[in-house]
Amino acid sequence: MIWLIAKKDFLLNLTSPRFIIGFLLCVVIIPFTMIVSVDGYRNQRRVYEVDQAEVKKNWNEIKVYSAVRPVVVAEPQPLGIFTRGVSDNMGNQVNVRLGEYPLFPSGHAGTRDNPLLNAFFSIDFTTVIAILMSLLALVFSYDLFTREREEGTMKLVFSNGVGRVAFLAAKFTGLFITLVPILAFSFVLSILIIVLSPGVAFSPSDWTGVVLLFGAALIYLVVFILLGMLISALSKKSSTAIVVSLLAWVWLLFLVPDMAYYGAQSLSKAVPYDNVAFSLDEVDRAFEKATDERWEKVQKEMALDGIGHWNWNGGRDGYDEMYGCVYETYEFHRRLNTWREPERLASADKKWVYQKEWLDGLIKQENLRKVLSWLSPAEMFRQVASSLCHTSPSSYLAYMDQVRRYRESLVRYFESKKLFESYTYFTQQDPATFLTIEQMNQMERDGFFDTQNFKVPEHWDSEYYKPLNLSDVPVFVYQQPGALATLGSAMGLIAALLGVAIVVLIAVIAAFMKYDVR
Amino acid sequence: MLKAIELSKRYEDGHLALDSLNLEIKPGEIFFLLGANGAGKTTTINLFLNFIEPSSGSLFINDIDVVKSPLETKKYVSFVSENVMLYGNFSARQNLDFFARLGGKTTLTKTDYYNVMRSVGLQEEAFERKLKTFSKGMRQKVGLAIAIIKDADNVILDEPTSGLDPKSASELMQILVNLRNKGKSILMCTHDIFRAKAVADRVGIMKEGRLVMLRNREEFMQDDLEKIYLHYMQEAVMFDDINVIA
Repeated sequence: MIWLIAKKDFLLNLTSPRFIIGFLLCVVIIPFTMIVSVDGYRNQRRVYEVDQAEVKKNWNEIKVYSAVRPVVVAEPQPLGIFTRGVSDNMGNQVNVRLGEYPLFPSGHAGTRDNPLLNAFFSIDFTTVIAILMSLLALVFSYDLFTREREEGTMKLVFSNGVGRVAFLAAKFTGLFITLVPILAFSFVLSILIIVLSPGVAFSPSDWTGVVLLFGAALIYLVVFILLGMLISALSKKSSTAIVVSLLAWVWLLFLVPDMAYYGAQSLSKAVPYDNVAFSLDEVDRAFEKATDERWEKVQKEMALDGIGHWNWNGGRDGYDEMYGCVYETYEFHRRLNTWREPERLASADKKWVYQKEWLDGLIKQENLRKVLSWLSPAEMFRQVASSLCHTSPSSYLAYMDQVRRYRESLVRYFESKKLFESYTYFTQQDPATFLTIEQMNQMERDGFFDTQNFKVPEHWDSEYYKPLNLSDVPVFVYQQPGALATLGSAMGLIAALLGVAIVVLIAVIAAFMKYDVR
Repeated sequence: MLKAIELSKRYEDGHLALDSLNLEIKPGEIFFLLGANGAGKTTTINLFLNFIEPSSGSLFINDIDVVKSPLETKKYVSFVSENVMLYGNFSARQNLDFFARLGGKTTLTKTDYYNVMRSVGLQEEAFERKLKTFSKGMRQKVGLAIAIIKDADNVILDEPTSGLDPKSASELMQILVNLRNKGKSILMCTHDIFRAKAVADRVGIMKEGRLVMLRNREEFMQDDLEKIYLHYMQEAVMFDDINVIA
């Protein structure tokens, strides 16, 4: 009985203009969206490869440990083709410094090369599915009962031995088997485009993600079919049902996410970043002041009139590289670094308190936005999708946690090797070749070298030295969560989406039990 | 057999649509239920088909309680409604096939469907045509074919001649006679007093939810059914006028 009615509905749906229009929409929109997304991914991949090569080149040229300030380049997520999530807002590089905890990536974001083109409206596969499938589900289901009632067929059906629950199950099945092929076709089309696109490689874990995404899309489809059925069961006329359905669609797809966004910002105020930046500057200034004081103190302790350098390169975050200096200068820097670099780490810890407070505020806002947007199944689906595709805010936060842990391992490496207290932190010159001021002056007088005319020993030049062997320095390896862990992180939302489906199903049954079939 | 005992229906708005109806339609009998709009005819049908629940009283189809075993009773009843659109994108045969299977007839062949469609006077060329191209009369014939093919013991018809041309209406009446001759109990609600005179075995007139008159063929032929009907309708019109004035 259920299959008979479902098959009838399926056959009628297949020949209906709405099915043809829905199918054509998928045929046109899905490839377009996927081609744009694949192109965007390949662009990100190209940028990643260029950046990675540059980072590797710089890494291989490091000659002193104070230059060991790794740059982590985030590899674009292939599944981002399906769901871009927040990847468009995030950069692709993280500078790992001693003086600061990494907070967010910087550098090239997942945007187009031409920033002026960012105004161009482009949506990803998940958004297309969220919009299209919800619209199709409502367009097919809004008159599921009202049409049968208006055309008198409902009375005819119920004049036979058809129970209401069986009828409901049949109507649902008929619609489900009508829309699932459209959804499946969209996924198959996307997969084909991915498989046929050069430069796009999906791992088995990525394919598992696609399968899970399809599962989530099925649940999402069911929610909207049931929602349409509920509207139909509560309406007496198809004309009323279509208006209510479209209003519900606009509300759930567009208004709720925006309201959640503004609601979260209004209800949970995050500390303005300007305040945080000011506090960070304060800490930095205190650190610089303390460094200046320590400079003078060490200078006094060593009874030096001044610190002279022959060949000195310095930069941010403790980078110092020097050659051809006198022993006193090297020793001065060694003593300074022995105090300064741990102090730099302590300063980073102080700044982290402010950064963490700000970050917690942002996370709180984001969590609130998430919860508020659960009023929309579309937003729930998007959250599930971005979680499965590793492009959710949580995925980025987890990534940054890993980078911060990597920084800690790097710090431990520096400390365990006592690099801050070593000359190799800032020079490769052999301490046996260090000359005291007096020795240096005597040798210059004796004509061994002429600093005025740059006639100096070759080991005073940085080009004389080979890059350091950094093979034992920790490198960042992103531990991407496996399929099971990904499913686990999305499971709560999937369960919530299923919960919505069950609640709406109960409401549909309750409404249809009272439905006047006459 | 269709039977109603002290059957009443009061809607949620308080309107008493049916008041203590007692009715029994035996096998091989055509019963015409006449009355003005709102007299309670369709409510009676809706109760027999369990589209609505009675406020009191009981109904039986083939001695099975409609309220207690609604799905069971529907095996023994066919229904022809007024203005049924059926499924426009299905052909007449496909509609017939769907409803026949729904009614439990799963072994019928295309020839069976064609024969039934022929028996209700549908043109051969229309058998495989989509129903959305059909006239109202043709759709009504398909509706009747659906009722016939179920081959239930009881047939309930709600204003089936409404909008039909006289020829089609006559053909429909002939089909009802044939069904009666096969031993079916037929309950037909209509305004069409002339068709009632032509084929009904018994006639009941309803007014304001009550069965105010019940006559068998001999009685209503003798008493002039038009006169009796008009008499009751006149009262109803006068009653309505008084209500309007009040």
